[in-house]
Amino acid sequence: MVRVRIASAAVFAALVLAAAGCGGNDDDNGGSTSAGGGGGEGGTVSVLMGSAPDFLDPQLGYTTQSAEATWISYTPLVTYRHAAGASGGELIAGLATDLPEVSRDGLTYTLTLRRGLEYSDGTPVRAADAEYAIELAIRINWGGKSFYTNYIEGAADYDARRADDISGIEADEASGQITFRLTEPYGAFANVLAFPSSGLVPTGTPMRNLSNDPPPGVGPYMITGVTPNRTFTVERNPRFARLGIDEIPNGHVDAIRVTIVSNTQSEAQRVLNNDADIFDAGDTLPPSILPQIEAQASERFSREAVPSTYYFFLNTTKPPFDNLKARQAVNYAIDREAMVRLASGFLEPSCWFIPDGVVGHPGSDARCPYGDEPDLARARQLVQESGQAGARITVWGQERSPRREYVDYYTDLLNEIGFDATERIIADEVYFPTIGNAQTDPQTGFADWIQDFPNPSDFYLLMDGRSIQPTNNQNFSKVNDPRIQSELARLNSVPVTDLDSVADEWAALDEYTAERAYVAAYGAETHPKFFSDRLDFDAAIFHPTYLNDWTSLRFK
Amino acid sequence: MRREPSAGLGPYRLAARRLRRNRVALAFGALFLLIVVLCLCAPLYADHVAQTGPNANHVTDTVMVGGVEKDVVSPTGQPIGPTWQARFFFGADQNGRDIAVRLLYGGRNSLEIGAIATLLTIVLATIAGLLAGYHRGIVDGVLARVLDLIWAYPVVLLGIALGTALALGGISIGPLELQGNSLLVPALIIGVVYVPYVAKPLRGQVLRLREQEFVDAARVQGAGSLRIMWSEILPNLASTIIVFVPLMIANAILLEAALSYLGAGVQPPNASWGTMISDGIRLIPSAMHMTFVPGVMLVLAVLGINVFGDGVRDALDPRAKVRVADVQEHEEISR
Amino acid sequence: MTRFVVRRLISMVLVLFAISVLTFLIFQAIPNGDPAQRMAGRTSTPETVAAVRRTWGFDESLPEQYLTMMGKILSGDVISYAQQVNVLDEVRRGLPATLSLAIGAGIIWLLLGVLFGLLSAMRAGRFTDRALTVLALIGVSTPVFLLGAVALYFLAFKVQMFPNGGYVPLTEDPLDWLYHMSLPWTVLSVLFIGIYSRVLRSNLLDTMSEDYVRTARAKGISERRVLLRHVLRNSLIPIVSLWSLDFAAVIGGGAILTESVFNLQGVGQYAATSIQQLDVPPVLVIVMLGAFVVVVLSAVTDVVFALLDPRIRLAGR
Repeated sequence: MVRVRIASAAVFAALVLAAAGCGGNDDDNGGSTSAGGGGGEGGTVSVLMGSAPDFLDPQLGYTTQSAEATWISYTPLVTYRHAAGASGGELIAGLATDLPEVSRDGLTYTLTLRRGLEYSDGTPVRAADAEYAIELAIRINWGGKSFYTNYIEGAADYDARRADDISGIEADEASGQITFRLTEPYGAFANVLAFPSSGLVPTGTPMRNLSNDPPPGVGPYMITGVTPNRTFTVERNPRFARLGIDEIPNGHVDAIRVTIVSNTQSEAQRVLNNDADIFDAGDTLPPSILPQIEAQASERFSREAVPSTYYFFLNTTKPPFDNLKARQAVNYAIDREAMVRLASGFLEPSCWFIPDGVVGHPGSDARCPYGDEPDLARARQLVQESGQAGARITVWGQERSPRREYVDYYTDLLNEIGFDATERIIADEVYFPTIGNAQTDPQTGFADWIQDFPNPSDFYLLMDGRSIQPTNNQNFSKVNDPRIQSELARLNSVPVTDLDSVADEWAALDEYTAERAYVAAYGAETHPKFFSDRLDFDAAIFHPTYLNDWTSLRFK
Repeated sequence: MRREPSAGLGPYRLAARRLRRNRVALAFGALFLLIVVLCLCAPLYADHVAQTGPNANHVTDTVMVGGVEKDVVSPTGQPIGPTWQARFFFGADQNGRDIAVRLLYGGRNSLEIGAIATLLTIVLATIAGLLAGYHRGIVDGVLARVLDLIWAYPVVLLGIALGTALALGGISIGPLELQGNSLLVPALIIGVVYVPYVAKPLRGQVLRLREQEFVDAARVQGAGSLRIMWSEILPNLASTIIVFVPLMIANAILLEAALSYLGAGVQPPNASWGTMISDGIRLIPSAMHMTFVPGVMLVLAVLGINVFGDGVRDALDPRAKVRVADVQEHEEISR
Repeated sequence: MTRFVVRRLISMVLVLFAISVLTFLIFQAIPNGDPAQRMAGRTSTPETVAAVRRTWGFDESLPEQYLTMMGKILSGDVISYAQQVNVLDEVRRGLPATLSLAIGAGIIWLLLGVLFGLLSAMRAGRFTDRALTVLALIGVSTPVFLLGAVALYFLAFKVQMFPNGGYVPLTEDPLDWLYHMSLPWTVLSVLFIGIYSRVLRSNLLDTMSEDYVRTARAKGISERRVLLRHVLRNSLIPIVSLWSLDFAAVIGGGAILTESVFNLQGVGQYAATSIQQLDVPPVLVIVMLGAFVVVVLSAVTDVVFALLDPRIRLAGR
């Protein structure tokens, strides 16, 4: 009988082996890649994504995974230059002939639609479509719709169904002129117009989530073949090249086929083995595969900074962090090198709130007020002086890695310098609603801000006393500083086009924030740019807002 | 089937004799006991050997290994492997915490949860089994429906749904107030989820027992139903309950690990074997020790108590009244 | 028979109702778990949150919300909160992977479980039995996600013999399907083989001491024949009913851990991600599906056994 068992086990093993041998075709899910013809034009790039885009409907998408596809398929009136680094933050005319003309009071934005535009299905583009796109985003509850409802005249009424359209937007079909009237001067409004959610879609597009069958748009590519949570394709839009929008490239490859794999380990491995072409830049590269990548594929891997700020908020209305010395102690104690290691190297350390790559970043000549090296002795001394030694602190954090690791470290650090800290890690989905709720009124914890658009006012929304609210509060430190308020009132209204002229004033404000230790900032996240060896790595643009620029991809 | 001579010996003496003869079960029982003792000694190890606490970070520290200074965590976040010396004997985790220290403290948590959950399951299941089996009628009907409900609910799903909700909200039932990060939360969930698996066979046994002469005799003598349940029926359930205890401990430890893997178990920074494994799995290719060390420990502990429990069952219940199936038939927990 | 079916149906509806209410309430109890706030985004004002709440009907009373959602589930157009897609479509998309896992692993664990149980019983008390017992208990004592992760590391990462997770539809490429499923099947089966061989062993030993077996033996029928013809047949009944329940549980999303480790993107994995996203509609659908399959298959098993064996009387459980 024992022999029978062995025999049957052997049969089973043989079956499995046979299966393994015969199925030796490694590229699952049809992620096949065909290098195009000569000159690197054409071909299909296969992209692997660890987490699916939230929506492929341009008026709903809010994650980078979504924006990577929608910003090249739904061009708004204005958009960003297809370039890496700081120049990628520069606004260019999209479907409008030029950047918006801003009235002297900063309340009226005027643009003119280019002539002869058509959507990917051939429908002609009308000026009214610009208004319709925004109405659509509001009606189907885009996650960022308050950018519209807070600033465009009549948008809040439209949202509350008190009006049938947005009174502050006017479009004239004959001249192609589109006018936006604002409720207050908001300098970053041109950035709002560049959101993919402002990307034009035909008037009459159904007002519901169209992620499974995205509407036509104007752009070098178009989204097709969507199977939710499995795959979608971004295909070249044959009608785009004729439109003559020179500053937006036509793209090189015929199509980008995206497969959602939800296991970043196999995702990274397949790109490493050249079974797929791109590890999506929005995903976290599993640290365990890093040694291998650095050894075998260093010429097709890099870390690219994305303007963002990672910090611990310090509630200024509650002990112990209503005390300046207690807040400074935290800033002295934090070891940014430790944070980099916890992030597996995917962090660009910084002590400033406005990140590198955004106007107003204090720059390299400014020195951090708390030095470059951690000073635990000084921190302990400050805690003693503050009279808050032994204060009980609950530290709030998110589950996902490496954020939980940050908070594990931070809690231990607070205990180290003389506080009595305990940790409270909660589910990712409820984290921000929870810490933004007045009933929680948290003392300190993890927070981050990834730019909606490259404008310092997008970051200082989190330091603005006016944005303190009982629910969904984003000013976690509850900063309400008269100096910051008066500066914001002035700086926030400077239009994007004049932003450079006030760069020094923003920088001075940011240095002030650091001195007051309103937060303990520790850096900006970096994202992996990781390709197969078939793609031209150096020619590909890593865009600061939309990550890998798929129009720049080409085969070697 | 060999029959044991039963002349003059009580059932428990007999069982003990049978168990003593089962060397394998005893050896594995001893292994489990050893692990328990080691975990209880966690503070001693932390203070006198490793000289660091279970939650102390050493991200940018270095350690001397064989005369060479090494990073505890490399600049790209790779933790050091086993050093086989006092500091970082089993290596470090991504936060530069000593795995050996966390292993012992985490073991304490896993075992504590296992013990509390088992206690809870046994108490609730015994009460439910007694009431349902003895009273039948409406009580039985209601209890049976409730048990059916928990039983038909996919166990892991129930566990993580409850775990996620309770980790956020905590529990407050009257005077009992539990923070969401309390160890008692997973223990409570696990304890409740397993009740039907023990209550069902107990109910069946009570149904048989209540028809026996000695119960009738007690009833005729005017004993109340509570008294009958307590002093006539319960003693007869004892051997079944004893058989369940080790099995439940094993299953509770496994379910805790599964819940932790799905993020609904022990809350950080505290460790359990389950949370350590799930932290480690992310780093498997480059830091195998993070998974291997708690993984081996968990399997050894559960195996120890399982084999011992098997021996106890053989000894107490040679006719296999309680089958493995009764406890394990719905073990989605470990799937 | 009719009475049995009716009683079972009523009790099934009750159980499903109770389970759905329980699930719904668990998610309502989560502090700050308001889906409107998540949908409105991080920077939303109270007005936007209120608008979302109105659109989705979260401002209604709890019983109303529950009824609306159940109505939508039954009519097939229930939409998830997180990605706002049709939940039933998603579940349907996940079913092939889940079915593949359940059927393949189910066959393996039944065959090997019976084989090992038989061996163990025939050699009761001897070395083979001891060794199989310890092996079975190791299988029972190892968490499936640990086994899966370690197997993936050694067999898919170090020696690239198996794929690193993922699912390929049978209809797309049968061989590739087999290639991708073989490791998950093996890993999921280990636990069950352990359980089944133990159950069968004790059942066999139990039956062997029954009177009719002794009679058969006394008649001089060979030991092997007794075992296979009389003992095994009777001992298999509980095994098969156990099997149908476990099989039902795996189909109903019970194999959450295996699906997640191997990234099969089946129903169980969908449940796991939905719970993490606190996305009530999919969780509700999958929990009810799971309970439904379990209840139906256990009823079917009872009927089948009643037909096979007239001694078993059907009674509402």
